[in-house]
Amino acid sequence: MSDQVHPTQLSTVMLQPASRSARTIFVSALLAVAIIIFPFFATPFHLDVANQILLASIGALSLMLLTGFAGQISLGHAGLIAAGAFTAGILSKEAGAPFWIGIPAAGATGGLLGLIFGLPSLRLRGVYLAVSTLALHFIVVYAGGEYENLVGGSGGILIPPPSLWGLKINTGKAWYVLLVAGAILAFLVTWNVVRSRTGRAFAAVHGRETVAAALGINVARTKLTAFVISSSMTAIAGALFAYYRGFVSIEAFSLYLSIQYIAMIIIGGIGTLPGAFLGALFVTLLPYLIETVVAHLPGAQAMAGSIFAVNYAAFGLVMIVFLVFEPSGLVGLWRRLERRLLIGRQSP
Amino acid sequence: MQIVLNILVLGSIYSLISCGYVIIYKVSRVLNLAHGELMMVGAYLLLTTASAGWLGSPLAAIGLALVLSLTVGILVYVLLMRRMTGESVLAAVLTTIALGILIRGAVVLLWSAQHHYPATKLHIANPSIELFQNAKLSLISLILIGVTVATYAALFAFMRFGRWGLRMRATGQNALLAAQRGVNLHAVYALAWGISTFTGAVAGMLIALDSGLDSTIVMIGLKAFPAALVGGLDSLAGAIIGSIIISASEVILIQHFNPLLSDAVPFLILIAMLVIRPWGLFGTREELDRV
Amino acid sequence: MTIKTFAVAAAISASLSMTAAAQDVVIGLSGALTGPSAGSYAPAIEGIRLYVDKVNAGGGVAGRKIKLIILDDQGEASKGAANATKLISQDNVSLLINSSLSSTFAPMIAATGQAGIPLLFAASACPKEVYPPANPLLFCTTAFASKFDSQATLDFITKSGGNVSLGLVAMAIPISRSEIESAEGLATVKGMKVADKAIIPPPTPDYTPFATKLSAAGANWVYAWAPWVTQVRTFEGLRKIGWNGRYIAWAHLESESELARLKDPALYAIGANALFAQDLPVQREMQATAKAAGATYPASQMTEGWIAGMVLEAALGKAGPNADAKAIQAAMQSLSVDTKGLRGGPIEWTAANHFRTRQFYRIYRWAPTSSAIEVVQDWTAYDVK
Repeated sequence: MSDQVHPTQLSTVMLQPASRSARTIFVSALLAVAIIIFPFFATPFHLDVANQILLASIGALSLMLLTGFAGQISLGHAGLIAAGAFTAGILSKEAGAPFWIGIPAAGATGGLLGLIFGLPSLRLRGVYLAVSTLALHFIVVYAGGEYENLVGGSGGILIPPPSLWGLKINTGKAWYVLLVAGAILAFLVTWNVVRSRTGRAFAAVHGRETVAAALGINVARTKLTAFVISSSMTAIAGALFAYYRGFVSIEAFSLYLSIQYIAMIIIGGIGTLPGAFLGALFVTLLPYLIETVVAHLPGAQAMAGSIFAVNYAAFGLVMIVFLVFEPSGLVGLWRRLERRLLIGRQSP
Repeated sequence: MQIVLNILVLGSIYSLISCGYVIIYKVSRVLNLAHGELMMVGAYLLLTTASAGWLGSPLAAIGLALVLSLTVGILVYVLLMRRMTGESVLAAVLTTIALGILIRGAVVLLWSAQHHYPATKLHIANPSIELFQNAKLSLISLILIGVTVATYAALFAFMRFGRWGLRMRATGQNALLAAQRGVNLHAVYALAWGISTFTGAVAGMLIALDSGLDSTIVMIGLKAFPAALVGGLDSLAGAIIGSIIISASEVILIQHFNPLLSDAVPFLILIAMLVIRPWGLFGTREELDRV
Repeated sequence: MTIKTFAVAAAISASLSMTAAAQDVVIGLSGALTGPSAGSYAPAIEGIRLYVDKVNAGGGVAGRKIKLIILDDQGEASKGAANATKLISQDNVSLLINSSLSSTFAPMIAATGQAGIPLLFAASACPKEVYPPANPLLFCTTAFASKFDSQATLDFITKSGGNVSLGLVAMAIPISRSEIESAEGLATVKGMKVADKAIIPPPTPDYTPFATKLSAAGANWVYAWAPWVTQVRTFEGLRKIGWNGRYIAWAHLESESELARLKDPALYAIGANALFAQDLPVQREMQATAKAAGATYPASQMTEGWIAGMVLEAALGKAGPNADAKAIQAAMQSLSVDTKGLRGGPIEWTAANHFRTRQFYRIYRWAPTSSAIEVVQDWTAYDVK
């Protein structure tokens, strides 16, 4: 080895598994500390935003599993979230079912719907599959609307705050603890699935179905598994959302919500689990960010009336920018930046 | 008789919109989910040209808005979709979704969310006309049917006999081969986007003239989408048949069953179609394996 | 545990607000300033803002200035919930106003209930909890009222005479559907013949099929209670197929310009707010204020906001200086506010009734002879019990 190490060589040295995992541990520890101390400094408003991000993370993780890893596109994500929320809401309203029944029931409903949503995937691919999930979205939303109208009242279904082991979960902090636990659990589940035999089958099916079949992978079963696991998790996220807000109303589950989740996994970085978190963070914070920016612009008063439109336009623009210029998302951006920084630090 | 007329009007609306989905898909295999939004842009452009006093006649305003719409379509390809060639089909579809959201925001910023009445601005009267015994429709609905027929006739002729139509068909069948034979692919794709936006804008303008304009018009674009798919995404004739099927089921449901179902049923038909014959009534079977 | 935390937080915030601005009374508003349904709420919100500015310019109320914090919820329930959380816990508001879609009600009612802060619905639909027996914390000034609107409309149709065959029009959203369903029940009680009921999904490309069904069922009077788009497009659809019956619709804020656009003498608008064709002194004042402030919306669309502002001023004045949320709520338990002709009579609240003790309706239409909007039936009162 010479004294002079070429920058590119150095970067490969630096990114070797040992140092990489050490850094991963460091970053994770830092993150863990931040997550633990956050509620002690946060205002209720900030806690609420954090809880929204955590809820979105669970939904994004499940979509990442389906689209990012198994390669099955879905435009019906909002429909599944609605299904979970309504399962929890209906059980609570009609049978007074507690939290620990509502959540698994939502998971079961989601799993069943996932099986149905997944059936077209056996015959259809790409765009056609996306369209079939879109159709199912409309049907779920229609059914939810009919139920809401049936039970009357325009305020949706009210759900009392849940209790766990005798503790009432009705403050932002309590929810924060519960949702952090939920997000970690969702992460561990998806992580395990991705690393398991099933996960490798996902990757194979994602790559080339015919080859996967030739390798002895049951393509149909793999696809359905992906749909069932993902949909079940999505529905649980929906049920958590319903409990968190204390009510369910069909108006909250528009097609735009599905698009937001797709944006999360694209912006985060498709095919990576941290990407789901980053995407959820980014998409949830974007409107608040824009509001702050607009408020500090000259002529803020005139813009205030159209902030919704500004949000919409900016959201579309950000999505386009990522799709065109950074298809590997924030995770890809981070990795590139990291590499550049490491080289920059070591070279002089 | 009135029901037949209603089906014909609604079917024309859907046909005029769904041919836009078909043209782009047929030529470039891209499903353009921003078509409803591009249609809306066309309608709002008419609102702007209608407000411009120096144009004089309503026809000039409509003509200018149509030229602008064609330009918008071409620009969408040149500035955005061109970058997505060679990317996965999925990435292209997602890009159109993102474009749609961007347009929705931009339209409200530029034209406000209020209801507008371009017909009043252009001083176009919209009287009721008795076509048959006990069957009436508005003048603009009648024009809509005529325009739809003319548009499809022109499209068929163009695709069949036109030099650029031939190039478009060739590109759709095998882009690589077409390029090797000297077809300028970018020009063909840009033209497809231009024509698609043009026809969409015609539909948008006629809807806006008939019943006013606000941003909910994009939902109509989305409802026309099942029609294109049922007929077969790469078939113009299929788009007409699909539109008639969807509109007939919608009108009959409203008349004789639950009108609320009219919102979900087009998508139920679509699912049934996807299960039985995913490539649509008139679509090409091989399409399924290519996406 | 939670109660304790809350008490501590409340104590701290109370001391903070004492030192920060003992003079100001802080009022929070969460409403659909922007978003797809903003058209029905944003003008009213601007009206409230202008009214509060006017009060502050005149020295405030009971010796204090009003600090009005307006947050946008875009008609989304989760944003409404987040806004309510922020306004209550961070800004320590003494009263919260909701001007948004009914899906935002549940989380805001829950949040204000927990904190014991009064919640006023202005321009948004009155929830059933404000009618007798009223929830002590909830109040409403909005013009339209479930069941009473249909009652007044059907009474007018009955009075118009002739053999009525009634058609009903709703949009496929819960609030509109339930009102039209109650109208259907009421019509049956009154012995009217209900020819058809059309419930129309919101994104409808063509209203003619619905119009055809109404017309074919033989309706000669149609009553619509829905957002303006659905009301007017169904009407236009009916005229397109040559229907020549009479049509009555709720007078939303667009109705004044729309009656003038359509110029159809058989199109009636029923409402509880005075239209600007009236040219009342208070309306002239509104116009002058809006003009001076360079308002985004025309003064004619601000009536709901102006009325809410009047009620707010009266409540704060009655509560007196240094009144907190509790004192303001107590003052609102019995209140009478002169609406200066914007409504048919005063808004009166009692401990049991937070809607109003009497609700007034007026009916308008376009008069072709005078080429102006005319009053077909002047203020008619209904007791709310």
